[in-house]
Amino acid sequence: MPRSRRSRRTLTVIILVVLSLSLISLDQNARTHSLTSGVKSVANDVYAPLRQGVLDVISPIGNFFAGAVNYGSVQAQNERLERTIGELRAAQLEQGFEKNQLREITALQNLPFLQALPTVTAQTQDQYSSNFTATITLDKGRADGVDVGYPVVGAGGLVGQVIQSFHHTAVVRLITDGQSKVDVTFGSQLLGIVDGQGPSSSMTADLVAPHTPLKKGEPMFTSSLDAASFPPGIPVATVRTFHTSAGASQETIDVDPAADLSQLAYVDVVQWVPST
Amino acid sequence: MVRVALVIFVVLMVQQTVIVALRIGGAHPDLLWLLPITAAVLDGPETGAIVGFWAGLSFDLVLPTPFGLSALVGCVLGYAVGSLTTAADPRATWVRPVAAVAGSIAADMLFAVLGAILGQGEMVQVDFLALFLVVGVSSLVFVFPISRLMRWALAGEGHRRSLVSAQGDSRAW
Repeated sequence: MPRSRRSRRTLTVIILVVLSLSLISLDQNARTHSLTSGVKSVANDVYAPLRQGVLDVISPIGNFFAGAVNYGSVQAQNERLERTIGELRAAQLEQGFEKNQLREITALQNLPFLQALPTVTAQTQDQYSSNFTATITLDKGRADGVDVGYPVVGAGGLVGQVIQSFHHTAVVRLITDGQSKVDVTFGSQLLGIVDGQGPSSSMTADLVAPHTPLKKGEPMFTSSLDAASFPPGIPVATVRTFHTSAGASQETIDVDPAADLSQLAYVDVVQWVPST
Repeated sequence: MVRVALVIFVVLMVQQTVIVALRIGGAHPDLLWLLPITAAVLDGPETGAIVGFWAGLSFDLVLPTPFGLSALVGCVLGYAVGSLTTAADPRATWVRPVAAVAGSIAADMLFAVLGAILGQGEMVQVDFLALFLVVGVSSLVFVFPISRLMRWALAGEGHRRSLVSAQGDSRAW
């Protein structure tokens, strides 16, 4: 191989690597992050309608085959859902009085009550677009009142938090993501932190004192600490297993998400920011 | 460059609409890495690096991972695969599947490690066994259609040195 050609090849690769590292630096630097974020925002505004157009074409085909193959299980699932809806309607009627009382008490204590907060209903466009992060993409963005930091609820509990907001789309980090940490309260005003462990791993509850009495299935809710990133009272997780190892400084608790993260077709974005 | 850009766009769309739904064991196939791999095998390390950079950058625009990370990994992957396959006779029939499987797995490892170095520690917390199995097997399947697309794209760029024009369309990739 001619020497000049080899030199040119090496130079090209060096330039591309330096360019990539420069882009990463711009993205990681807090002062210049808005630059890369802006580029991504513009790209997403162009990309989202194109992607939706492709999905509109291929989804009916996929749904047709999925419906034909899973007809029996879909019918059984419908029956289960109808039964659950009936039970929920009955429970809702019973809980009306308790909710009113709770709303009054939280208002007295100046705490935000989730059902009194404004929400934006969004459709999930995309789930787990990367193998390395647990995120979903919503079809609502800044123009629809969805901003970074807003909590996202649905399917029975807390789903996650908005981490990127573009013009008409937003990216939500799920509570199972490795970077997700949620302050929780459970039992008799006990506190802990629910940590995500990655898209394919279970979540854990940390900073809980050894031998804390727990029950399997015990619910954990977002706490009302001043610095909390979420409004209080949202179901986050339920206890799956717990034990305290000899000499451990905290109890080992595995938890399951309260929300059914496999059913995220529609979610509510809560227009709420932590009090500073 | 227009054809290469078109192929990158098509693969991006297929990945983000169809492939992301094919989740097995918490992982889905990753077509991104096959672009620099096939470009590198067909036209050498320089083309592999250039295609890897632009393909990675395109994916970076829509992924929640650090901006520029896919571009960096794609560029390094294209260069490495191009260099290694040149030394190992790129015309051998086993080169493409082996490069696809080994390259995709290596790229995912590099991507995760660099992501963790950049502060995204959760990127090394994934189930790597499931990820490598899914990405490895799917790369073996998808390398052939993507290789055909890349051959078409590079032929339009007038590359003379590579397998693209030297072999014509006689090789049934």
